[in-house]
Formats: sequence, C-alpha cells, structure tokens
Amino acid sequence: MIRVVARHECASLLRNAQTWIMAAIMAALFGYLFLKQLEAFITVQGQLATQDHPTGLSGFMAVRYLEPLSLAFTLVAPLFAMRSFSEEFRQHTYALWQSSPVSTRALVVGKFLGVLSVLSLLVLLAAGMLLIMRVFIPIDLLLTLSATFGLLLCAAACASCGLFFSSLTQHSLIAIVASLSLLLISWMLGSANFGTLPLQALQDLSIAVHLRGFFQGYIQTRDIAFFTLMMTLFLGLTIIRLDALRQTGR
Amino acid sequence: MPVTDVELSHAAEAGTSPSVLVADKLNRRLSESASVNDISFSLARGDVLGLLGLNGAGKSTTLRMLCGVLVPDSGSVSVKGLSMEDHPLVAREHIGYLPDQPPLYNDMRVSEYLKLAGQIRGLKATKLRSRQTAITEQCDLGDVQHKLIGTLSKGFRQRVGLAQALIHEPAVVLLDEPSNGLDPQQMEGMRRLISDIAQSQAIIFSTHLLSEAKAICNRIAIIHAGRLVADRPADGTDLELIFHGATS
Repeated sequence: MIRVVARHECASLLRNAQTWIMAAIMAALFGYLFLKQLEAFITVQGQLATQDHPTGLSGFMAVRYLEPLSLAFTLVAPLFAMRSFSEEFRQHTYALWQSSPVSTRALVVGKFLGVLSVLSLLVLLAAGMLLIMRVFIPIDLLLTLSATFGLLLCAAACASCGLFFSSLTQHSLIAIVASLSLLLISWMLGSANFGTLPLQALQDLSIAVHLRGFFQGYIQTRDIAFFTLMMTLFLGLTIIRLDALRQTGR
Repeated sequence: MPVTDVELSHAAEAGTSPSVLVADKLNRRLSESASVNDISFSLARGDVLGLLGLNGAGKSTTLRMLCGVLVPDSGSVSVKGLSMEDHPLVAREHIGYLPDQPPLYNDMRVSEYLKLAGQIRGLKATKLRSRQTAITEQCDLGDVQHKLIGTLSKGFRQRVGLAQALIHEPAVVLLDEPSNGLDPQQMEGMRRLISDIAQSQAIIFSTHLLSEAKAICNRIAIIHAGRLVADRPADGTDLELIFHGATS
C-alpha cells in the first residue's frame, strides 16, 4: 500500500506546474554555482598545489558547490511537501484516504517517499554535474558520494518537517512559513555563538553542524542518527496528528 | 465472528438476511449545538435506507462515523461482523463512501482516478481491470474516462465519486446527499444508478427531501437534532407527518 501512495504522490507532484518551475530554478542554481566554483578552482589551483595537503577538485567542489546546496534543499524540500496534506484537506480529497483501508502510517510513509523520490532526482542532478567530470579527470568518488548522501538526508529530514506542518492546516502558505521558520532557526543555531555549556548543546540541534562532516568525506553515526531521528520525529508527529483528526473531526 | 459472503448469500436465500452493518447507540458531540445521540440501526443486504433530515440534523456526522472517518464518543459500528473499533482497516474494506463533496483530484483522468481508488482498496491488477471496466460501464463514464476530472460537469463528477465508492464491490455503500446540486435529469440518472446497485449491496442514502427518499429507498430513518425519530418502511403512511412534525 505504501508503494501505491508513494506512486500517487510522486505522480501528483510531477503533474503540478509548480514542481517543474521549482525544479527549473534549482537546476539553474546548480548550473550557476557549479560553473562559478569550477572557475574559482581553476583560478586558485596554482596556490592550492603549493600546500602540504592540497585540496583536490572533489574536496573543493564538495565544500564550495554541494554544501551551499544543502541550504537550497532545506528551503525547497518543504515546498515540495507543503501540498501533501494541506491540499488534500482543501480539496476535500482526504476523505478518500480516511474511508479506505489504508493505515495512517502507510499513508504518511507513502507520501513521504513520494516527495523524497522527486527530491532525490534533484539531488542526483546536483551530484551528477560533479560526477560527469569523471569522464575527463579523476574524481574522489567516495567524497562525492558522502556529500550526496548528506544532501539526500538533509532533503529527507526537511521534507518530513514540511509534511508535518502540511498536516496541521489546509493553507499551504501557513505550512510553508511554519516549516521554513523552524528549519532556518535550526540552521542559525549552528552559527550562533553560545557561551555557556547548556546553551552550546543547542548547536547539536543544528542541521548545518550535522551536515558538515558529509561534505568533508567522513560520515559519522551521530550525524546519521540526527537526521534519522528528525525524520522519525516529524513523521511520527504527522501520524499522531492525522489519527487525531478522526477523534476531533476537524 | 466476521460474516462471510457465502453466509450472507445463504441467509439471503433463506430470507433471514443477517445484518451487514450494525450501528449501536452512536453518540458524538461536535460542538455546543451539533451532536448525534443514541443512533442505532442495522442494515441487511438489499436494504436501501434513506437517512432523512434537515441540514445540520446529524446525517453527515452519522455517515462519517459509520465509515470510520470519525470516531464516536460512545457506541459501536460493525461491518459484516467486524468491529470498526477493533478492526478498522478490514472493516473499511467493506465500505464504499461518497461524502457530500466528492473526493476528486481535478488533475487526474477519470480512468487514473478509478485505478487509484481500486488500488487503495486492495484490488489486484486483474480484478482491478475487470472492475474498472464494469464500473465505468455501470456509471456510464465511458465517454469521459480519458478526460481530466476538473473539466467534468457536476453530474459526471458525482458519478465518478460514486464509481470510486463502488469499485471494490463493498457490502455497504454510504452516500451523503449524492443528488445535491444535480439537475432533474441528472438526479433521475443518479436514482437509476442507486436502484441498480441496491440489488447486491446495502445502501444508506442521506437526503433532506422526503420525496427523493421515498423514490429510492425501501426504508426511511428520520433524523432530527441528532436523534433518530423514526425508522420505517418507505411506504409508511405516517412518514410525512413524522418528518414535518419533527422539523416544524
């Protein structure tokens, strides 16, 4: 059943013009950033070569090209997820799911996977630009894959956040503002300078802090656990919220 | 114990149709002014029950509780012997529900939508294909099956909504004011369609028009201010009196 829901969600996103507009904007951003950073690498290549441990093209591009894209995915993932439930409420189509033998868990996981599959295509497009250079020069494949994995986890966690807020309201705009506010606060926690120890713990809630390692080529269990917990939390809250709808009736 | 289709058929042949749907003392409070109190009835295969009442009487709330969309504060619903509380997913497999606003995706084609409706009701590919063909024919959707739902007229939209409720051949079909907003010709078509499906399924049909209920149903339950005030055969002579008495 999860597969049916995921396929429906994915197809529904691909039928929507907004999806293609957002995808086109993202693709343009990928292209611009990729070429800009590639040019920057060519400019500083000579200086880098004089260092003891010179950064290669993969390392340079992972940090200067793929890492900034994680912020773009943080902003875009909730936009893809915002319609998932709020649009169903607004168009009165949610009754179809509520009266059918689809469990809330299957519905939420299915919708999440549907949104994620579309986002994955964008992540692959971003990583593909870098990987395609492998035809001409050697690329550190593991570093690139690690960065791609980080981007994918970031997109998935942000999509789950968007999905949750979309289950709270029938107004997509409210859902998107709420989820973006929360995600941007999480980003800012990473760059804030907390003096005291208890407040420093807040930095552990930052998406940016947990993404850093992926772009430097080392994948840490605690970072994977952070994103997995974030997804589980928001998907769990979405299930609770939708189950509560049967109780409250609104 | 769940009631099987074979048992239902045997009981129907013997003239002792067991109930496919039982509502027992359903209570639900939605707000200060809106509530449903102590609604009880049962339905056998072949029954077409008209749930008659004014706007706000509690018809939609009752139907939503029967199909599991809304949980009652107290009371129980069972479908083919399966409790909606204990086995909600299996019980919902036997229910087809058309809400007052049909749950239609405007950007989908009719055939795609019916396929989705069948898939989420668990129909396998072969069965789904045959049911899709049958329901398209039964609801007279052949000419519009490749059209986008958003471009259809109100009458066709209602038919598509009905088709999604029937595609899995449910034992119980719940229709919330299906003829609302239809012109007389479309209304007649809808009545014919409901009479067709009544041969093999139990139907609850909500309306606020006594004449409509009498034309379609073989049983009428009058609901007023959240209470069931009468449950009679549709040819009962006192129905008009009770309905007007309750609503005046």
